[in-house]
Amino acid sequence: MSVVTLVARDELRMMVRNRVAMIGLALLMLLTLTAVLSAWMYQRGVSELRARHAHAAESTFDAQPDRHPHRMVHYGSFIFRPLGPLAAFDPGVDAFTGSSMFLEGHRQNTANFGDVRQSSPLIRFGQLTPAFILQAVAPLLLVFLGYGSLARETERGTLRMLILQGVARGKIVTGKLLALGLVALIAGMPAMIGLAAIAVRQDTPALPVLTIAAGYAAYLALWAVLIVLISAWVRRSRDALLVLVAIWAVSTILLPRAAAGLADAEIPLANRLQTDVAIGRDLRAIGDSHNPDDPHFAAFKRSVLDRYGVSRIEDLPINYKGVVALEGERLTSSLFDHYAAKSFAAQARQNAMVDLAGLLSPAIALRAMSMAAAGTDLDGHRRFLEQAEAYRYALVQRLNSMQAQDVSYLDDMATDPGADRRKRVSAANWQEIPDFRFAAPDGATLTAAALPSLIMVLAWLAVALAMLALVTRKLGLRR
Amino acid sequence: MNLWAHEFRLLMRQRLPMAALALLTILTVASLALGIAEVSRQRDAISAIPAAQSQDIAAVADYIDSTKDAGSAAYYSYHPTWDSPSPLAFAALGMRDVSPYILRVRALGLEAQIYDGDTFNPELALTGHLDFAFVLVFLAPLFVIALFHDIVSGEREAGRQRMLEALPHGGTALWQRRGALRLILLWAGLALPFVVAAGLEGVSVGPILAIGALIAAYLLFWVGLAALVSRFRRSSVANAAILAAAWLLLVLVLPTLANVAINATVPVHQGAEIALAHREEVNRAWDIPREDTMRRFYAHHPEWSGSAPLGPDFHYKWYLAFHQNGDESVAPQVHAYRAGLESREAAARTVGILLPSVGAQMLLTQMANTDLSAQLRYQDRIRAFHKRLRTFYYGYLFNDLPFGRKDFDRVPEFDSRT
Repeated sequence: MSVVTLVARDELRMMVRNRVAMIGLALLMLLTLTAVLSAWMYQRGVSELRARHAHAAESTFDAQPDRHPHRMVHYGSFIFRPLGPLAAFDPGVDAFTGSSMFLEGHRQNTANFGDVRQSSPLIRFGQLTPAFILQAVAPLLLVFLGYGSLARETERGTLRMLILQGVARGKIVTGKLLALGLVALIAGMPAMIGLAAIAVRQDTPALPVLTIAAGYAAYLALWAVLIVLISAWVRRSRDALLVLVAIWAVSTILLPRAAAGLADAEIPLANRLQTDVAIGRDLRAIGDSHNPDDPHFAAFKRSVLDRYGVSRIEDLPINYKGVVALEGERLTSSLFDHYAAKSFAAQARQNAMVDLAGLLSPAIALRAMSMAAAGTDLDGHRRFLEQAEAYRYALVQRLNSMQAQDVSYLDDMATDPGADRRKRVSAANWQEIPDFRFAAPDGATLTAAALPSLIMVLAWLAVALAMLALVTRKLGLRR
Repeated sequence: MNLWAHEFRLLMRQRLPMAALALLTILTVASLALGIAEVSRQRDAISAIPAAQSQDIAAVADYIDSTKDAGSAAYYSYHPTWDSPSPLAFAALGMRDVSPYILRVRALGLEAQIYDGDTFNPELALTGHLDFAFVLVFLAPLFVIALFHDIVSGEREAGRQRMLEALPHGGTALWQRRGALRLILLWAGLALPFVVAAGLEGVSVGPILAIGALIAAYLLFWVGLAALVSRFRRSSVANAAILAAAWLLLVLVLPTLANVAINATVPVHQGAEIALAHREEVNRAWDIPREDTMRRFYAHHPEWSGSAPLGPDFHYKWYLAFHQNGDESVAPQVHAYRAGLESREAAARTVGILLPSVGAQMLLTQMANTDLSAQLRYQDRIRAFHKRLRTFYYGYLFNDLPFGRKDFDRVPEFDSRT
């Protein structure tokens, strides 16, 4: 048996004898299983609920009676953000964003009814998911199991004896690392089984699953290396434990919040009131459709009349009110897009600032990697909002075109008792309008988004290994 | 007194406790600074409302003044409401990041407006705040562990325990003296910066004293736990490991488990169902006889039933009436939804009795007026204001009074205190 395996076996035997540590490991595995199941059930439950709501909203839309198309513009459409399969591993921001949205003409509503405002306030302590366990809890358990691996031997003088007997320092350290690595593998196993169970589902893209598995494996390996490194560096096992717990608390608990707090303070976001008022102001600067003398709409009217070669709107072959509605929606939507892009750019800058803090804390880099690969980060929510806006615009313009084509101008202006009936178009039109379908990003897109953070985690691992190699050379030399 | 001064001198010479105390004080100051900065940003946003609002309303008034139509005034005017941060909000920012503290409403159906949110970055919200509550609830216990895990075992490992116990005023009295000194210093590291910040923010004496006591009580819990663990006469390193594991359980793991349990056992009907039902009810009005809508409205609001019957033309009083009918039709669901949210919060309070971490966090957000109850009270104020708005516009619409530029000055204004 090689020296490395001997050292590793000896270390593992020490751990197994430590009853508290074994109970801790067993509890962690139990907790992970609970997390896997509860996150899985949550994802299933939420998906089904949203699908049911979406279906109900779609059938009521299709079941609307004959209506004036503009009524349907205001009846609008209710859509729900579906939850991707990988959210069962890392739900990311899902609970912190609204999941349903009301789409109507002239207005861009917010996504509402996020879980954070509906569940118990304990949600702010964190959510029990496999990702949370692996990011926060598992490293601390590894610390408890491994802080003494080398410090203990230094403290008792056994390390010196080993070295004096001619055992290579590298082999001792490799053996200890092997033992702790094995424990890390066991600790990560239940979560990985959960991930595998998600991966076999048909709608799960393969590449992001592999990215997530690689990222978490690298992260746990990093902790194993870090623990052995500190244990080799520090002379007393108590100091090793305190230093490691401090590193853990700073990197997983303190720095993420500090980075978020600074990003929030550094890069302000315009609130909704200011944005709405600004959109109103910009719109008035372009033109006021209420004002008959407004230059923009006067020019627009002229251009429409010229296009059809007539001099009065009554002579147009189409309904001028519908044409104005089309133009008005085009203007407001371009402003919505402009301001939404600005807000998203500011939020992206905030997140870039937090990502930069990944240089100080591997936990930040890992979290970003995990959410990006699972499609549950801010970009995932942005994809939903942008597709929702595109759908809203297409829906409203389709209804406005219906008003322009299928409702005559004279009917539209009429107020006689029968006019209401003549303004309506057939209910069959509503069923022809396609329902909102969220186009989920493909695996390559998700993986590409996760790649920078994954590289950062790997770079952390490389640096830690290099430092361990350095420390190994001087192992046992200090008094 | 002499002995205390001596202990203090001894402590001053130790690197780990002094470094820990300094770090805790720095973190406390940083969290207070971030909290004050956030609250002052919120105050700035609220004080920027009138300028933006007057610009917006002026444009509406320009348009309405030509038609004198009160219905268009009601339709096009957005009215701001806001929830000013309490003086103590800087210490526990609570839900103020994910719930709006500024919301504009129109005199139309409120149930389609009151659940709207404001713009926020969900990734930052997911991470959580670095506020004073976080430093106290999450971080302070770790400092207790660093300072208390080896009070007795450290002396034992240094071979001094028997000698110290044999000394006059030694033994238990000595451990108590050392413990009390460390506890006082930890308390001071948290409480003194807090008192300064609270003074700057104009918090009154009562809450300051209460939070001073809360800090002491929470620290005492962890000190008690450390004392309990040290009774087993394990090594310093074993004590530290056991205490850190207890921290992991009490602060990170059990609250997340409790959250899963509460959400499973206290079901809340999704708010989205209110929104869907409300929309159906409101839009149905276009397909039923207008008189049905008015009859139903007048049945609930006889004070307006003397209004002239509807003519053939569109009239905004009918439009606003069916919006109000819509609100009233979903009232039972709204009530159930709110009751569900409240019972989830109540369940979390029960958990707070068992878990000091949860209890401290909830007490702080409750005192700071940043918890769910505070959000619901803000919604109550919005509802009361919305009622005044309706009554105001109905006065013009149901009496067919013209609505001119001057009438915009008579529109009710939100009072953030009622």
